[in-house]
Amino acid sequence: MSAVQEALPAVRSSRDATVRRFALTDSIFHGMTRAAAILVLVLLGGVAISLVAGSWQALSTFGFSFLTSESWNPVTEKFGALAPIYGTIITSAIAILIAVPLGIGIAIFLTELCPRPLRRPIGMAVELLAGIPSIIYGIWGLFVLAPFLQTTVQPFIISVFHGVPGLNGLFAGPPYGIGLLTSAMILAIMILPFITSITKDVFDTVPSVLKESAYGIGCTTWEVTRRVVIPYTRIGIMGGVMLALGRALGETMAVTFVIGNAHRISTSLFAPATTISATIANEFTEAVGDLYTSSLVALGLILFVITFLILAIARYMLMRIDARTGA
Amino acid sequence: MSQMLSPDMTIAAEAVTKAKIEVKNLNFYYGQSKALKDITLSLPERSVTAFIGPSGCGKSTLLRVFNRIYELYPKQTAEGQVLLDGQNILDRSQDLNLLRTKIGMVFQKPTPFPMSIYENIAFGVRLYEKISKAEMDGRVEQALKRAALWTEVKDKLNASGLSLSGGQQQRLCIARTVAVKPEVILLDEPASALDPLSTAKIEELIDELQADYTIVIVTHNMQQAARVSKQTAFMYLGELVEFDRTEKIFTSPREKRTQDYITGRFG
Repeated sequence: MSAVQEALPAVRSSRDATVRRFALTDSIFHGMTRAAAILVLVLLGGVAISLVAGSWQALSTFGFSFLTSESWNPVTEKFGALAPIYGTIITSAIAILIAVPLGIGIAIFLTELCPRPLRRPIGMAVELLAGIPSIIYGIWGLFVLAPFLQTTVQPFIISVFHGVPGLNGLFAGPPYGIGLLTSAMILAIMILPFITSITKDVFDTVPSVLKESAYGIGCTTWEVTRRVVIPYTRIGIMGGVMLALGRALGETMAVTFVIGNAHRISTSLFAPATTISATIANEFTEAVGDLYTSSLVALGLILFVITFLILAIARYMLMRIDARTGA
Repeated sequence: MSQMLSPDMTIAAEAVTKAKIEVKNLNFYYGQSKALKDITLSLPERSVTAFIGPSGCGKSTLLRVFNRIYELYPKQTAEGQVLLDGQNILDRSQDLNLLRTKIGMVFQKPTPFPMSIYENIAFGVRLYEKISKAEMDGRVEQALKRAALWTEVKDKLNASGLSLSGGQQQRLCIARTVAVKPEVILLDEPASALDPLSTAKIEELIDELQADYTIVIVTHNMQQAARVSKQTAFMYLGELVEFDRTEKIFTSPREKRTQDYITGRFG
């Protein structure tokens, strides 16, 4: 007992030293992590500022008409962003139209119907699609998919819709192989894994007892999925779609290969077109004048704003489903 | 032990009325582990039967065999016979969706579907019946009245089912089950997540429903079993220990284990 009491001051002082040491290392750790977090914000701000600064010349020269003009003429230095904006939005929208039903279908199959041993292999195969570099999609699109579409699918569709009012405009012109639709198809393949894996994850958040009670009143798998699982996870699915859309909008390499890089707006989905990122990638090296360069940077700023908005919406929606399942 | 007693039990139950569900030598497995051991019992028609026992004794598992909901999960298997009106529902040829319209189930936690109050009820009805809007309105109203919920929700039928309180949601689930016109209603601890007032309402409801339906209720709450049921089955470690009239179980049980459980000596 007395020995313990004698030892107390020594124990205390060594404990105090340890506490002081911990306080120091802890504050260093705090500082480092905070600095890392702030660095992200600084980088984001830096990118935004340099985009605005770089595009200032173009924006002040052309004003609002930069957004509404279709002409893109390096010789006369008249630049308008409408054609690339149009191409970006149309290719992404069609890609979403193709990939969303496919992705949701795969997710339903994987979560509700797939025999358990096959679940992981198929899920992993879909996710591996996301790991293929975009240049490979580009090469494949240019050398395999585009010639195939040019020789078989496009002539067939053109002849089918020839003379059908409305649709003949959408599917008109010579079958180039490359163009809006081909890019959209490549994009659809590229964003499929995002939609599938996010949809699969949100499907897994549906309480099994809710599914059981739907099966319990005699629902088939289709009815449970359509009336219970999908409505329950609606917000999460939307979030996943938005994330995929963000990726489709910014995708550069694969699209540059197969879009055709033509600065014009055509109603035909078979016509060559261009997107914001493809334009920048193609023309940056040959942009000689300041105004030309500045116009390309302005295109980048527009893309930045579009994707930022879309991703913000996606995050917000995913947060809402997290909040609900957490409750 | 249970085998020895089973003939006796069957007689005790059958004396009351005709059997709606007869379980014969039922074994149930989660993978390799045996969760139900040679269960034999017979549930009389239009009456409330309670399953009591400590957690993990297999009472919910037994309930989940009756509508074969366990089949949603792999590696869960049932052996033996479960006869609904003399027909073995464990038979491979039994259509599951049809079975589940005959045997409704209400779960421990309320599970309203992500749709309006009206749709929560109409949805299940529409699956198997083509009826007019007016008839559907009638069915919904009738089901909600049955579940003693009508006066509380009649002005907000288009509100989401999720906007109701826990007790109301549970009654909505009962209304939804009743609307499909089942023959048997399975209740898996329907009041364990509810406050005493909502519990009392649910119990009242069960009491009224037994005029038309065969009801099986799993409960942790022995007072509840004593209040609502005509027969009580006491289960322990996957075995059916004792099955008899409820008063008999709670006043003079034959088995020592039953006696110990209802007096709170274990479980």
